[in-house]
Amino acid sequence: MLEDQTFASMLGFWRTVLSVHSGTLEDRAVMVVLSEIWLLFALFEFSAAIYEDQVGKFDWRRQYVGKPRFAYFDTPTQNARKLMVTTENNVIASLNLRNGEIIWRQVDKEGPEGNVDLMLFHGQDALTVSGGGRLLRSWDTNIGGLNWEILLETGSLQTGSLIGFAEGVKYIAILKKASISLHYLSNGHQKWSEALPESEKIQYQLLYSSGSGAVYLVGMVAGSHLVVIRYDIEDGKIIEQVTVSAPWIRRLRDLCGIVADGILTCVDRESHSLWILPLESEHEPEQIVLQSLELELAEKFEGKILTTQSSPLVASSAQFCLQLSESHYALLQLHDGVVSLLRDFVQAVLVSFATTGDKVVAAIMTAKNKTAFGVNLYSAENGRRLLDTAMNFNLDPNCGQPEQLYIHAFLKKDDSVGYRALVQTLDHALIFIQQPGRIIWTREEALAEVVTMEMVDLPLTGTQAELEGEFGKKADGPMAMFMKRLSSQLILLQAWSSQLLKMFYDARKPRSHSRNEITIENLARDEFNLQKMMVMVTASGKLFGIDSSSGTILWKQYFENVKPGSSFKLAVQRTTAHFPHPPQCTLIIKDKATRLSSLHVFNPIFGKRSHINPPVLTRPILQSLLLPIMDQDYAKVLLLIDDEHKVTVFPSSRNILQQLQDSAPVIFFYLVDPILGKLNGFRLHKDLRTEQIWEVVIPTETQKIVIVKGKRSNEHVHSQGRVMGDRSVLYKYLNPNLLAVVTESIDTHHERTFICVYLIDGVTGRIIHESVQRKARGPVYVVHSENWVVYQYWNTKSRRNEMTVLELYEGTEQYNSTAFSSLDRPFSPMIFQQSYIFPSAISLVEATITDKGITSRHLLIGLHSGGILSLPKAFLDPRRPEVPSEQSREENLIPYAPELPIRSEWYINYNQSVSRVRGIYTAPSGLESTCLVVVYGLDIFQTRVYPSKQFDVLKDDYDYVLISSVLFGLIFTTMITKRLAQVKLLNRAWR
Amino acid sequence: MMAVEVVVSRFLCFLLALRLGAGSEAEGVGEKFKIEGRAVVPGVRPQDWIHTARVLVEGEEHVGFFKTDGTFTVNDVPSGSYVVEIVSPAYRFEPVRVDITSKGKIRARHVNYLKASEVIRLPYPIQIKSSGPPPYFLKRETWGWTDFLMNPMHLLPLKVVVSYLFEQLQSVHNAFHHVEHNVNIFVSCIWVMMMILPLLIILLLPKVVNTNDPEMRREMEQSMNMLNPNHELPDVSEFMTRLFSSKSSKSGSGSKAGKSGALKRR
Repeated sequence: MLEDQTFASMLGFWRTVLSVHSGTLEDRAVMVVLSEIWLLFALFEFSAAIYEDQVGKFDWRRQYVGKPRFAYFDTPTQNARKLMVTTENNVIASLNLRNGEIIWRQVDKEGPEGNVDLMLFHGQDALTVSGGGRLLRSWDTNIGGLNWEILLETGSLQTGSLIGFAEGVKYIAILKKASISLHYLSNGHQKWSEALPESEKIQYQLLYSSGSGAVYLVGMVAGSHLVVIRYDIEDGKIIEQVTVSAPWIRRLRDLCGIVADGILTCVDRESHSLWILPLESEHEPEQIVLQSLELELAEKFEGKILTTQSSPLVASSAQFCLQLSESHYALLQLHDGVVSLLRDFVQAVLVSFATTGDKVVAAIMTAKNKTAFGVNLYSAENGRRLLDTAMNFNLDPNCGQPEQLYIHAFLKKDDSVGYRALVQTLDHALIFIQQPGRIIWTREEALAEVVTMEMVDLPLTGTQAELEGEFGKKADGPMAMFMKRLSSQLILLQAWSSQLLKMFYDARKPRSHSRNEITIENLARDEFNLQKMMVMVTASGKLFGIDSSSGTILWKQYFENVKPGSSFKLAVQRTTAHFPHPPQCTLIIKDKATRLSSLHVFNPIFGKRSHINPPVLTRPILQSLLLPIMDQDYAKVLLLIDDEHKVTVFPSSRNILQQLQDSAPVIFFYLVDPILGKLNGFRLHKDLRTEQIWEVVIPTETQKIVIVKGKRSNEHVHSQGRVMGDRSVLYKYLNPNLLAVVTESIDTHHERTFICVYLIDGVTGRIIHESVQRKARGPVYVVHSENWVVYQYWNTKSRRNEMTVLELYEGTEQYNSTAFSSLDRPFSPMIFQQSYIFPSAISLVEATITDKGITSRHLLIGLHSGGILSLPKAFLDPRRPEVPSEQSREENLIPYAPELPIRSEWYINYNQSVSRVRGIYTAPSGLESTCLVVVYGLDIFQTRVYPSKQFDVLKDDYDYVLISSVLFGLIFTTMITKRLAQVKLLNRAWR
Repeated sequence: MMAVEVVVSRFLCFLLALRLGAGSEAEGVGEKFKIEGRAVVPGVRPQDWIHTARVLVEGEEHVGFFKTDGTFTVNDVPSGSYVVEIVSPAYRFEPVRVDITSKGKIRARHVNYLKASEVIRLPYPIQIKSSGPPPYFLKRETWGWTDFLMNPMHLLPLKVVVSYLFEQLQSVHNAFHHVEHNVNIFVSCIWVMMMILPLLIILLLPKVVNTNDPEMRREMEQSMNMLNPNHELPDVSEFMTRLFSSKSSKSGSGSKAGKSGALKRR
């Protein structure tokens, strides 16, 4: 009953709210000219730029490619320099084999349209098929550009293969769901293209070419028959089409392969046997029972066939590998229609074939224990182990298990086979290993998919902690305290002198060497708290602790049981400020399929799992709240609300429950259901029950909720109002419970599409403001801070990106200047609104944040070009006047201009572009002027920004030499003149 | 005749633009087209810059890569109007708006976000020339003796003085130049007054004036007093002492106040 009432009143309220349409942008040529003149002035005032000598001084960038899908080494010689990879993140890149760095990288469109489905490697060219089999590209791997690019017919890609002749490789064959086409390798032009017979019934999946002027195509109908078609290479005519009855066939991929000179070999999992069918002759398939090969089969036989992937110029060898179970492989040979066992590998983790010259080798990886692995090479011809090819290495215990093995085999000078191995692990790490087990480089590709992150202050050093301890301890007499004071003063002096010594010592060394290695042991907070620990959570379930000043990975932790697609939320429960207690972070992992969550508590500085046992959650968690209530260990309370609106408290000590009971009447939370278009407000009872107090329903037939954004909890607003030109004060409407809710219309027609912004009080559910932007569509990006909301959208009428700013003011008088209460606000705020054109496409917006909120704010805008633009908030001020007046000039308001400026000095990452920005994290530092920024996406970029310049610290280009030389010069001249004056006086006295 | 033709073609363009505006959102169905073009960085070979460059059509809606000769093709673009940007961290390129009709006619024009319908045509296939590396960095303000000497403020009068002397020697008196010269001479005079005179005063005054003369000294002291503009403003030290004394008198007892009163009377 109560619920119904609130709902009804809400609806009534809904109707009474006047929708304020935002001011449309008009063309004002005069205004533009005026504002451009003004901008010349603005240049001097807003400075987000850096000097050229500051490059790399406090910023760094790490580039990643993602989890590899295909990888090729450039040449089968010892001095191969490149590794070509295409990845799950739609990246094609060339890596330097010596140090693992990226030589070049091209980032395709995100999503399935940019997916690289196939990569083949030939000579210096990499051939890729991407966009769901739409585009065939040939890349020059030395340059990083395209040789050619052609469009293929639509249809999903099945496979592709290079077709070789005696004189070299000339063509590439592309097999689609319903067609096959042949292209010239030199320019990509199509030689011929043919539709496949009965393509809706038959699945064609295998291509084979012996170089004899024919292309074989194998298709199948599951459980019925196989189809083998022979095409003429020259004109694409079907020479022969054979249908073979094969009731045992299930699928071609993994289960079948072409061995030796065109012999189709298939595994039959049910009858535990192999089927052999020569493509070139019209034999019936021949069955070979695996028991006859003296192989021990497991109960559940899941066989797979691995053929030797040799170059298209060499016919594939007569050997192949049969995977019998997870760790059981057999190397088999097919000779004259007889299959024989060459070697049985019982304890193999991974198997890979490699070819060098005319030698084919099989690399077998075995596990000694959970972290120690070994690789051995075996000759494929006879199954003998090659001498001096053992490689033993240890993986990090916090790493995943190996998933893929790429072998780079080469012939040494003495004609023996040498090799290097690239191991890909489950946590998306790439490890390149040289004989006899030296790890050359490691790439943590999990960092290409950072999901969320937090920055944690570093702990104090021993001396700092000692000083802190002095104040914490109970006094034991004035004398003892005095002695203690003296001793700590001495410690300080000692630390200072040692620091000075170190500074002088370092000054003599070149800059690159002087940056000493940062390890987890010597981590300590610097004097301005500029160096922090970045805790990054990646989609693969791997956590990283990264030093923010250098980008060094200090710890990593891999959760093996995290399934792909899980969502993560990180909460800092205890910071480093409470010295004897270690800092504490809690990661909430939500599984996508089961929707169940699990908590993981750890120390963010060392990455160690905490001994505290988190509560076991049996129901899906909808919302989590970090309350400012602390228990006696100074850990903040985490409230978890499950789908039955029950509350779980962590930590749940008696003290906490008592405090919660006391403050329960002021704890409110909200839940959003985007499917039903509902926002619900709840409050907490003393017995930790919850009660719904308001509900806002957004009609789902016309709109869908896309973003709900509150304010940051650690945000401080220094000034309560703005002084206007006439000396009156406009007080800001600083409602900490305000939510910005953005909806998009379901109708996406360019005439009818719209976006809607609601400002809703999270405690009372009152809609404070609603604004509709017609002819606008998403993606919408929102920044909500202080008393303003900035959102960005696409204007479908004018085909441009626009930004709108909403600012809320209480008026010239404050209702209650001591505290803000959502429950006691009789007056609705004044709302100012202005829109601007943003002359570029945006991938993300975030605002800077500083410790006390005195520094002016900038918006950090991630652009698709890879630049991060720092735009002063002063440009997004709804009080910018169209015609500047005396008062607006006094207020320093920039005259209105429809188009926001983009200056290349405002790019905080200069030429260090960041691809596919997924998040911008801003954190305050110990200095009020400085805001720490981490941009993550495919790359990670860290820097500091000074929105109001460095007003509280000497600039790094401060000319100490000049100042001190002038000072010394003055002292010196005074001394000399004093002496001269004395002499003169004496002379005069003598006269 | 030419003028008429131009007007007609402008009108056609406008019609075209209108139609585009109406049909730009009809995606999904219909034919797909390709946008072609070429980008040039003067003085740099394509293979030295294309590995960091991409072609973005309307954000990241469509992405194209460069061929080794600097040309590019963006495939599978439905009809509509798009902003084509060439992004490279090292070189700056102007964006271009490309309109594709439903029939596949393509044209390129200048990007104007304010007036979307304005058409200033550009060649198609797109030809873009880089305007060089973007100025990402601020210039440090350095200070050195050379800056002082090379300052144009000093150079101009110097030049004028030298050239004036030179021309005096040649005794060329052109009436047209005369006015300009007078101005320049005036500037150089000011320069001489500003830079040279103080130097002379500092160096020569003590020599010229006999400082031992007591009358002269008194005169100088007077002129120094004249230079000090605020006679009314008290000295800082004086101000501080007064501040502290008043404070102590306020905090002090009545007897103290009487004392200070007595002092005042004195």
